[in-house]
Amino acid sequence: MNLAHVHLLVNHFPTVGTVIALGLFLVALVSHSVDLKRAGLVVFFIISLITIPTYMSGNAAEEMLRGRPGVSTSAIEAHRNAAQLAVVFMEFTGIVSWFGLWRFRRQSNFGRATLPAVLLLSVVTLGVVGYAANIGGGIRHPEIGDSGTVVAKGTTAGSKNAPATVPEKPAAAKELEPGGIGDYVTGEKWMWPTCETLHFVGLSLLMGVVLLIDMRMLGVVKNVSFAALHRLLPWAVLGFAVNLLTGMLFFAGRSSQYTTNSVFQWKMALVILAGVNALYFTMFDETWTLKAGDDAPVMAKVMAGSALFLWIAILYCGSMLPFLGGSF
Amino acid sequence: MDLLNTIEHNQFSQWVTNSPSVWAFPMFLFLHTAGMSIVAGGSAIIDLVLLGMWPKQPIKPLERLYPAIWVGFWVNAITGTVLLCADATAKLGSLDFYLKMGFVFAGVYVLHTMRRTVFADPLLDKGPVSRSAKLWAWASLICWFGAITAGRLLAYVGPVKGAPGANT
Repeated sequence: MNLAHVHLLVNHFPTVGTVIALGLFLVALVSHSVDLKRAGLVVFFIISLITIPTYMSGNAAEEMLRGRPGVSTSAIEAHRNAAQLAVVFMEFTGIVSWFGLWRFRRQSNFGRATLPAVLLLSVVTLGVVGYAANIGGGIRHPEIGDSGTVVAKGTTAGSKNAPATVPEKPAAAKELEPGGIGDYVTGEKWMWPTCETLHFVGLSLLMGVVLLIDMRMLGVVKNVSFAALHRLLPWAVLGFAVNLLTGMLFFAGRSSQYTTNSVFQWKMALVILAGVNALYFTMFDETWTLKAGDDAPVMAKVMAGSALFLWIAILYCGSMLPFLGGSF
Repeated sequence: MDLLNTIEHNQFSQWVTNSPSVWAFPMFLFLHTAGMSIVAGGSAIIDLVLLGMWPKQPIKPLERLYPAIWVGFWVNAITGTVLLCADATAKLGSLDFYLKMGFVFAGVYVLHTMRRTVFADPLLDKGPVSRSAKLWAWASLICWFGAITAGRLLAYVGPVKGAPGANT
């Protein structure tokens, strides 16, 4: 099994998932059901997590498909560009949905702007994702799209102007690197170092909140209520959003080095698990009701321990990309 | 320079730099990054709370973050020394390295002072956060942001050497 298989496995999740989540959300809005609204937001959030490996495995599939008979290169490029835009909207939708869940936990309402924002974003996302999926279908199915001829296009991802310390790619990989934003990331001298710095800042912000919440659950910082710590969760999500954005820019600049790296695949799988783990601390009752001095329930301790494990493992995978997976 | 060369070429430094083992350079780099995230992240949470991002909640319990922050700091001090020894001539010839260390020492001083003054203040949590506490919090944020930035840029400015993959 390779990443192209993974792409085939998950590539319908963003489209079908958004349709289901939007349908659920519309029914919830019409019926004024709070539970359905929360369910819709949870589905949007989870779909936004699944979209990350969908997009990234798509680049691996691209590398395997390019140059094969019957595969439209122009359709691949159009699909990739549409998918980049779709991911951005999908992640925005996921983050705003998470904010709605977080706010409901605190104040028993979603806030005036949150639900309309999710509705608007999800409708736009559905349009963009549907467009990307439609082009994606045309890559291997000429009967539903343009049967473009195969053109081996030699894009170089701006390597000639890349910073000296952004390593050269193997010659075979150069033909497969994306253009557009990827060219900008590797071509602009300070873009890569700036993204790296922001990636570390985002990581620190995220780890600070994770550390404090996990210390509370494990009984080290017991004399504070969880409701108080819950207020800090948006800072962790902000850190995660910074890392997601900068991580996507790295990926756009050097996609072939990531897609061929098994450590990176582990990292992405762990990020999805950590995202699901974050939902527990965002919306579940058993942590929310913890007062200062209360001992956390066993489940909360397990989730706190697993959060620490997951984020340290994610950090480990990120650090090991050049060493275990052979990137850069 | 002879001393730096000697440090850089001793058996341990050479093992750190050239060994293909994951326990050599990669592990020290990972531990350094993990330690940094604990120090900078823990400090940032204290700073943000002092700056009013956590109103109407007790601040004193956050003092329990200090032991974790000091563990992170000592992990970084040890791994940083190892990484420095492995690349002594390049790092000690870089102005950016001294800038980074300046931010780190200033950050540690600010952290220590905040505990001694802000957290030891009997009036903490009995009224609004004092102006001086907020100034310390700003200073701390600036120091750790500066340390991360200067640390990351070490791979891009000044003499660049080190183990394969160190500069990514």
